[in-house]
Amino acid sequence: MFKKVLIANRGEIAVRILRACRELGLETVAVFSEADRQALHVRYADEAYLLGPAPSRDSYLRGDKIIEIAKKSGAGAIHPGYGFLAERSDFAQAVLDAGLAFIGPKPSAIAAMGDKAVARATVTAAGVPVVPGTEGEGALSDDELLRLAPEIGFPLLIKATAGGGGKGMRAVRNLEEMPELLTAARREAEAAFGDGNVYLEKLVEGARHIEIQILADEFGHVVHLGERECSLQRRHQKLLEESPSPFVGDDEELRQRMGAVAVRAAQAVDYVNAGTIEFLVDRDKNFYFLEMNTRLQVEHPVTEAVTGVDIVKEQIRIARGRSLNIKQEDIRMDGWAIECRINAEDPYNNFMPSTGEIAHSLLPTGPGVRVDTGVYPGFVVSPYYDSLISKLIVYGSTRAEAILRMRRALEEYRIVGVRTNIPFHQNIIDSHRFMAGQFDTQFVEQRFSMEAADRGRETLPEIAALMATLVAHQQTERSAHIIQRNERDTSNWKWIGRWERIHR
Amino acid sequence: MKYITTIGDKEFQVEILDDNRVALDGQVYEVDFATISRQPVFSLLVDGKSYEAYIYEGDDGWEVLLQGTRYPVQVVDEREHRLRAAFGRGAVQSGDFHLKAPMPGMVVAVPVAEGQAVEEGDVLLILESMKMQNELKSPRAGTVSRVRVTTGDNVERGQTLLSVV
Repeated sequence: MFKKVLIANRGEIAVRILRACRELGLETVAVFSEADRQALHVRYADEAYLLGPAPSRDSYLRGDKIIEIAKKSGAGAIHPGYGFLAERSDFAQAVLDAGLAFIGPKPSAIAAMGDKAVARATVTAAGVPVVPGTEGEGALSDDELLRLAPEIGFPLLIKATAGGGGKGMRAVRNLEEMPELLTAARREAEAAFGDGNVYLEKLVEGARHIEIQILADEFGHVVHLGERECSLQRRHQKLLEESPSPFVGDDEELRQRMGAVAVRAAQAVDYVNAGTIEFLVDRDKNFYFLEMNTRLQVEHPVTEAVTGVDIVKEQIRIARGRSLNIKQEDIRMDGWAIECRINAEDPYNNFMPSTGEIAHSLLPTGPGVRVDTGVYPGFVVSPYYDSLISKLIVYGSTRAEAILRMRRALEEYRIVGVRTNIPFHQNIIDSHRFMAGQFDTQFVEQRFSMEAADRGRETLPEIAALMATLVAHQQTERSAHIIQRNERDTSNWKWIGRWERIHR
Repeated sequence: MKYITTIGDKEFQVEILDDNRVALDGQVYEVDFATISRQPVFSLLVDGKSYEAYIYEGDDGWEVLLQGTRYPVQVVDEREHRLRAAFGRGAVQSGDFHLKAPMPGMVVAVPVAEGQAVEEGDVLLILESMKMQNELKSPRAGTVSRVRVTTGDNVERGQTLLSVV
């Protein structure tokens, strides 16, 4: 059984995994790129090794080097986190071949769920409903896709075969705009995954994105930890998640039905470790299998908050060959949790990424607040990796309490040096639709704008005017001082000389 | 010192009387204004009420982020205000627009060519940074001139990419 774990990741998730290892009494090994020498995960780990230059392909994607470091440092297991190598079956296989434990599913399960066509065929065979589309039909040409599109019906989605995280994804409303969108989707997919293949999928309108967390051990026990509501997305990137889902609410029958289907989907690929089954749920509570994420999710803390299960520690226990010590009937969802993803993005400027040094940061604390972050004052947010710098999670006994707590925590949070999307979250939290739980996956993009939200709330223009004027005044005073000092430094004779030269 | 401060269509007369007294539209307030842990976070105590805001200086005036709301604010001193009034609003709308990289990144595509006419809102360039593709759009209509970068180039923050004249 391993006693030392290498964490093949960076940022907040590397720190999260380090913490779980510490609590289990395991030694830790961090790996880092040249841009991350001062990152928190490097500072927190027992050992740390340089991988290579900043770009991911030269560092965090270097599976060969990571395995070499694991062997050199005596680590017995590798935790991949999310992103980077987490869903690469060849990497998982290489880890096993090197005689190390992979804290995640078997390579065969990653491969089965990673190829979406295989995934759909497998879960369909297990009696799990899927969304209509061309996914099972391999790599099709633009002409073939254009011919098949009307059969599936508009609106539909173009999605990258190798995809995930919204890259290479486009919504199509009609046949006329489709060729251009196909080109854009293929270009983005090619850039992101080195594979420009795309497929079509019916767009379920008014759809919610609800996912089920599962845990499975080596002995065939599979349990689900209830659902997470992830409908608040922008460009298919999740921004705010909660558990339970206000849509499922107290419909325990729906929850258990989705949970049972998720368990069946996991069993269909002989799944071991933590995983998530994503469903699209329509207005009439029909749900369709979307995909399975064969890794730890960014939003796992909301499930941890309401179930009391430490998912990362469970992952490690499962990888150490232990049997699950929780039974389905022991799992209760208690209270309500909300997570806001704090990204270095400017919500007032089309969510443009923002880079720079974190000059100052004041974290929200107090009852029911958890912050998972990888940054601290003095750390430089670089353009090489994604813009998630922190996750703010709150817990309340009811949804209303959680919302009010999140509002309070967002107001406390101060990050100086980069722009963040905190104002966006403040506006979402205050919107009537969010409070009422009435939103779908299109809400952020189609029915929400920062300007409208700003207009709708109680404002303090007098205070804003006063503060801006005071800052402007300070600045004028300061520059006036500088000019005066310069005048004194220059003798009158020099002034006359200059004046004469100008007017010669 | 007197200032004319504008937010949208609201205009405020602000007079700084001394370090602790400010007149807003003739009404005098006791204020205590401080910078918190380096700029841009500022704290204001006014008549016992406490406010905290981020205040940034932009190309186009000030930006105040206060209790989750953003206020674009223009501040001009009295003399400057009178000068502007005398010379009209000094409508400097024309002039070349130089598209500058808002962040470091890699140029993924330049869908326009030199000499091409563009409308306001047209995509001029796609820049990839932090694994996201960002569309940089034209703020006004014009003709593309001097494209200084090509696909695959890595650019620094603030680097001029192309111009619209």
